[in-house]
Amino acid sequence: MTRRLDAPTELAPGADPLAAFAAGVTRSAAGVGRVAARDVAGAVMDVLGRHGARSVALSADLGPHLDAVAAACRDAGLDAERYDAIAADRARIGALDATVTGCTAAIAATGSVVLGAGAGRAAGLIAPLHVCVVRAEQVLGGLSDLFADPGRFASSSLTALQTGPSRSADIEKTLVIGAHGPCAVEVLLVEATA
Amino acid sequence: MTTQHRDLLTETGFEELSERQLATPFIRQAVPKATDHTVAAMGALFADHDREALRDRGAAIRDEVIADLETHLVDLVAACEAKGVVVHRATDAAHAREIVRGIVRAADARTVVKSKSMMSEEIELNPALEADGVKVVETDLGEYVVQVSGDRPSHIIAPVIHLPREKVRESLSAVAGEQLPPEAEALTAWAREELRGSFLAAEVGITGVNFGVAETGTLVLVTNEGNARMTTSLPRVHVALMGIERVLPRMEDLAVMLPLLTGHGTGQQISCYVTMIDGPRREDEPDGPEEQHLVLIDNGRSALARSEYADILRCIRCGACQNICPVYRQVGGHAYGWVYGGPIGAVLTPLLRGDEDGGELAQASSLCAACDDICPVKIPLHELLVKLRRRRAEGDSAPRVEKIAFALWSRAWSVPWVYRLSGPLGRLTLLPLARGGRVRRAPRPLARWTSGRSLPLPARRPFHRR
Repeated sequence: MTRRLDAPTELAPGADPLAAFAAGVTRSAAGVGRVAARDVAGAVMDVLGRHGARSVALSADLGPHLDAVAAACRDAGLDAERYDAIAADRARIGALDATVTGCTAAIAATGSVVLGAGAGRAAGLIAPLHVCVVRAEQVLGGLSDLFADPGRFASSSLTALQTGPSRSADIEKTLVIGAHGPCAVEVLLVEATA
Repeated sequence: MTTQHRDLLTETGFEELSERQLATPFIRQAVPKATDHTVAAMGALFADHDREALRDRGAAIRDEVIADLETHLVDLVAACEAKGVVVHRATDAAHAREIVRGIVRAADARTVVKSKSMMSEEIELNPALEADGVKVVETDLGEYVVQVSGDRPSHIIAPVIHLPREKVRESLSAVAGEQLPPEAEALTAWAREELRGSFLAAEVGITGVNFGVAETGTLVLVTNEGNARMTTSLPRVHVALMGIERVLPRMEDLAVMLPLLTGHGTGQQISCYVTMIDGPRREDEPDGPEEQHLVLIDNGRSALARSEYADILRCIRCGACQNICPVYRQVGGHAYGWVYGGPIGAVLTPLLRGDEDGGELAQASSLCAACDDICPVKIPLHELLVKLRRRRAEGDSAPRVEKIAFALWSRAWSVPWVYRLSGPLGRLTLLPLARGGRVRRAPRPLARWTSGRSLPLPARRPFHRR
């Protein structure tokens, strides 16, 4: 786009993307924590413990953090499986307490995370708690930065923008958190390693 | 369980339907309250942004598509097919129903989950599938309430805006077989659990499409509840229903259209879930449907694109014109008798169904043009309403008496001496009925006109003599 787009979904000029992202996540009624790369597994365990999650699925897109998180879950005595190993078992994924995924990008202006099909299409919303690990370098400014590269949409059968927990205001316009998707979303923003 | 929409409009008509709605006090209380809330949220969201410029860009993108609809559709079809999507093109509602029935039958489906789709309402899909013995489950909370209570949606974004919470509780309690708690939280939580079973059991998921991107073959679905994503992730087959006008040329257009849709629809910065689908599950992906169908439905749209009413095809179904419309806010969506209520319905219904059925709806407006001002893609709704009124007046569907009366009037006033005489004559006729210079209750056929307003007596000395 030639002109800068002036829309509520674009990052204000001069704004710090990471601070804006953290503020956006908070605005969306999700939790956000900033952690160092070596502390990711510990931070995930804190969140799972806080929500009392026992049955957990871990997505392959956690990448370098997958093994450490899996080991930490085992040590804590949680029932943790890789999401791709149980995806076909509907009863099993329907009974999960939490899913832990990575993401393919995040949007600073809106506090959204972007999930690909690699995480599992249903992985970001099947359980009451979704924990999403975002690397600082994945954070884009606004929606126009995400859509500027159509090639992004060639590599996955799903690209899903998720912003906070699911909600509905269908009954007398009363906002209720936790419709079909998660009732709670916790974002862990991993600071770039110096 | 699903109510037929068609008959209400032809058999009952706007006048009687709106009177029924006006007799329901909850609607006149709840609808303005809920819609004011959304309009205020929209205002706050755009306070620091140039909404006009964004609307101009949105309108330009939509016009680009409508001006050359078929080329954009050919691109969309090619891009979708390259990603493994099976594309069907349906000429009308019956054709679309047959296509979907065929897909559901081939999938040997017993349960179909659906995510809210106006197109599905327009083609009246549910009764057709139910007649085939398929269990159809609406998963948007509002649509689910509509379905289990045998009701009809009354707003594009908030389908049960017309129902008090106690009614929702009653309907859901009847399904649950026990009295559910009265709070919205508890009712939503109950529906979540109830519908979870359907999501996990369904063989086919059916959704609408908010936008189809021609450049990439991406289908975009926008929800807050997450039900569209569930519907497109869990069942083995996904069927997407899309009106042919809902194409966008490029991916980057979404950066304009998404904030317009969400900002005007709910006043949110972004909806919780924007799901972009690029074909069925791929080999290296853990889940997702094996089959992906796209049903492109014309149902009168390609003819509209070539007509003087083409601007209406810009519509992205945000519901903002309903929220702002002084008529809709009083009578609610059911008064419009078919799928679309408010200004968009008053224009689209006569265009899609003809003046015989829907022509009357073009009168359901004060022509205040508040809808033009709020529309995210600047559809000149009130101008289209005026055009439709003219079309109806010139056509065969206007009442004969009305046409004869207006023709006589026009003739009479074309003659100067008759025109000069009509003032004093009118005054003389109405004088016995007037109190304090105004006629408050006229006899038939003027009785209905004076039931909501009073008629001033013609002046003693007309202007042309002053």
